Amino acid sequence: MGTMPEKRLMRLADSLNPLINWARSRSLWPMFFGLSCCFVEEATAITSRYDIARFGAEVFRPSPRQADLLIISGTVFKKIAPVVLRLYEQMPEPKWVISMGSCSNTGGMYDVYSVVQGVNQILPVDVYIPGCPPRPEAVLHGLTVLQEKINKQEKPARSIFHLGKGIQGTVKPVLTDRQTKSRDPRGPGMEGTGIRGTEIIPPYFPETRTELMWTPEPAKIELNEQDKSLAKTLEDRFGSSVKQVPHTSDMLTFNVEKERYKEILVFLKTQHTDKYRRLEDLTAIDESARRNRENYPDYTMVYSLLSLETGSRVRLKVPLYGETAYTKTITDIWPSANWYEREVFDMFGIRFEGHPNLQRILMPHDWQGHPLQKKHPGRATDMPPYTLADAQKNQPRDAGLFIHQADSDNEMILNIGPHHVSTHGLLRYIVTLNGEEIKEMEMEIGYHHRGAEKIGERQNWHQFIPYTDRVDYLAGASNNLPYVMAVEKLAGIKVPERAQCIRVMLSELFRISNHLVFTGTFAHDIGAMTPTFYTFREREMVLDIVELITGGRLHPSWFRIGGVASDLPEGWKTRIDEFVKIFPERINEYESLITNNPIIKIRAKGVGKIGLDNAIEWGITGPNLRACGIDWDLRKKLPYSGYENYDFKIPTAQDGDCYARYLVRIEEMRQSLRIIKQAAENMPSGRYKTDDYRYTIPERKDMLKDIESLIHHFVNVSRGPKIPKGEAYASCEIPRGEQGYYVVSDGLGCAYRMRIRTPGFPNVQVMPMLSKGWSISDLITIIGSVDYILPDIDR
Amino acid sequence: MQPITDSGAFSPWEPGIFSLSIYTVIVLVLISILFFLSSWLGEKKPGTEKLRAYESGIIPTGSARLRYPVPFFLVAIFFLLFDVEGAYIFSWAVACKSLGWAGWMQITFFIIVLLAGLIYIWKKGGLEWGPCLKKD
Repeated sequence: MGTMPEKRLMRLADSLNPLINWARSRSLWPMFFGLSCCFVEEATAITSRYDIARFGAEVFRPSPRQADLLIISGTVFKKIAPVVLRLYEQMPEPKWVISMGSCSNTGGMYDVYSVVQGVNQILPVDVYIPGCPPRPEAVLHGLTVLQEKINKQEKPARSIFHLGKGIQGTVKPVLTDRQTKSRDPRGPGMEGTGIRGTEIIPPYFPETRTELMWTPEPAKIELNEQDKSLAKTLEDRFGSSVKQVPHTSDMLTFNVEKERYKEILVFLKTQHTDKYRRLEDLTAIDESARRNRENYPDYTMVYSLLSLETGSRVRLKVPLYGETAYTKTITDIWPSANWYEREVFDMFGIRFEGHPNLQRILMPHDWQGHPLQKKHPGRATDMPPYTLADAQKNQPRDAGLFIHQADSDNEMILNIGPHHVSTHGLLRYIVTLNGEEIKEMEMEIGYHHRGAEKIGERQNWHQFIPYTDRVDYLAGASNNLPYVMAVEKLAGIKVPERAQCIRVMLSELFRISNHLVFTGTFAHDIGAMTPTFYTFREREMVLDIVELITGGRLHPSWFRIGGVASDLPEGWKTRIDEFVKIFPERINEYESLITNNPIIKIRAKGVGKIGLDNAIEWGITGPNLRACGIDWDLRKKLPYSGYENYDFKIPTAQDGDCYARYLVRIEEMRQSLRIIKQAAENMPSGRYKTDDYRYTIPERKDMLKDIESLIHHFVNVSRGPKIPKGEAYASCEIPRGEQGYYVVSDGLGCAYRMRIRTPGFPNVQVMPMLSKGWSISDLITIIGSVDYILPDIDR
Repeated sequence: MQPITDSGAFSPWEPGIFSLSIYTVIVLVLISILFFLSSWLGEKKPGTEKLRAYESGIIPTGSARLRYPVPFFLVAIFFLLFDVEGAYIFSWAVACKSLGWAGWMQITFFIIVLLAGLIYIWKKGGLEWGPCLKKD
């Protein structure tokens, strides 16, 4: 008889479930965990165009204490996974999880050593939002699905009335590899059967026919008088320790002995008339998998320099030998070499004598092996799965290990990031504070390392294009350009004028799109919320045009080697014209909101200054360099893709502070608009893709007509073209600065070494210099003004 | 209009200690019910991670219990001082008419004294807030 009242109580509790669920599902308090591209679309969803307020979610929470829903958007890296787990565990009850984007769901296209193959291996997931990246609408749909799920499946009442059972958000066991989850790309149930085809593992992989294909020699450039005289000077001065490489596809190149290369670098930087003042790039190549191994050393160090006076480049290659190779540091010549050398050490294991802080930079501190060595596994699915136990064990290093100067009485060590609203991605600033003032600062990067360079060594030349889009996920198609240009340079592919013009038009559209995000977020960092809503409104217009032309939003992957993927669709011109007509007025609106705003002026003027000399020494490029008063812009100085045919100005500012960096970008939008207008008006007719089908994917109509095109189509889309043996570097002015691709081919279907020189890496290396002595709130302004993006820094 | 005639012990129009104490009791009871409900209904699953301070997803280093630099206290004290000013001025403003010119004179004197204090603090550099770089 005693059970009757109990039963009634239970029934009462059950009838309360719908009420409680209704309340919970309509007041979701989401916390973003923005890891990459997906996060931008998630952020777009909270702008005014999408009415996210109906979920009770108009504001996304930055801290787990205030959230009941964790939206993990983007690639989950092994280095950040412990942080994701910690945040989940710090959330109060009830809690739900949405996994957004293919990377977060399974690793997506990033099946690479640094990426977790699905966040569900460490966390229970409620809703998956597929797509790469999903559209903002998909985020809203995901929230609706979660609402339905809460309404239908949750039984909260018993739990909160202490009646036993009941649930508080989803708690289910995480998936385990090979038991409840399959990492086979073909889905579950296929484990028993081998994957068809072969892994591309240089130097040999069975049954490839690339070896049998004939290609012409790589393109060869004629050196100009300047280069010839430099070659002669070096030969006279350094004799046999410098050997000019006779056949180059891109720039003057020398093989230099290990003993003397520092002398030569100093000479080039300070004494030679051209003054190669910028260390453009520093990287290495692991030569151990070359097909004719005997012609190569164990490692090659590659230094490329740039002279700002003459716009000429020079490359030095230093051979290194031995299992644990070492060489001397050049941080005493260029301070910017600090991070570059750490990266080479991290990725190749090459040590640098005399380096002030030779530690891992991109990989976790306890990582085994050096990923860019040829013997290191490339795919995460070739390695043991990343599990909950790993996430609990592999913690980020303690902040005290980075900063030693803290005076324990007055100064406080604070982590700003990796998961922080203001760091614009996963970057960890470790600051020592005296009150609000920053006394010391260190940074930890690598939370966004997607192994793009390693992927470049296994995807064929065409397959790699989508990965380039994602290197700087706000610059979309502009990222494709330096990559395809480098391959075109190496193979000597001529690009038709129409294709070049289309490329310019799209690159400039993405420059505007990027600067719009910058304008909104920069103002937001200072504390103004409104500009974000305006700028995202116009950004959607730009993306709509991009979508009309390419079919994609953030990552069109639309440029192809030798041209673009397809011709411009009908109606593109009217859309561009409409945009060109309204946009100048909109820029004026932003200016009246921001430029003359007294608060913004006080917060940004004079803050985070850097002088021109320092900026060049540290390798800063793009708008940040131009804010220091130099009109260095590749589009004017070393024109590519037909930029010499357009009439536009290079905006500069003098002060090198946050405000100057903002001014330059605002003006750049106006200039980009001019370029777009000219490109649209003077769009040449003709082919949109080269007719040299050896290296490109032929046009479909040709493929359907003649057998030659059909053969090339078949070969180039399946195993990919063979690019002649050689190397080439090409760089472009993308919205954030100079992005360059250094492609090394061993005459196979994929790159032997794919090096990406990104603007973010040197731009961010100077952050301690900009922000020491300023307060935390100024640091946030400086971060906003530098406008970096993490996948571009970590690659 | 009907004049207010009801003048019982519970009348809100007649100030009296009895109605105030009833009011206080009601407030206390209501608050304790709310506190009880939220603490009883809200499920608690304490764990090491939940109890840890949140610092961008990283385990914090060192203690946050430091000797705060002086400016923090200065600002706190100035805020208190000038906040109290508001309480006086608002209450004066409510009864401004009935207080007449005498009240006006008094509040003017009060404000002038406070302004003098503000100028003094300003001149002394008490409002110089922020890092050293901004000061020059």
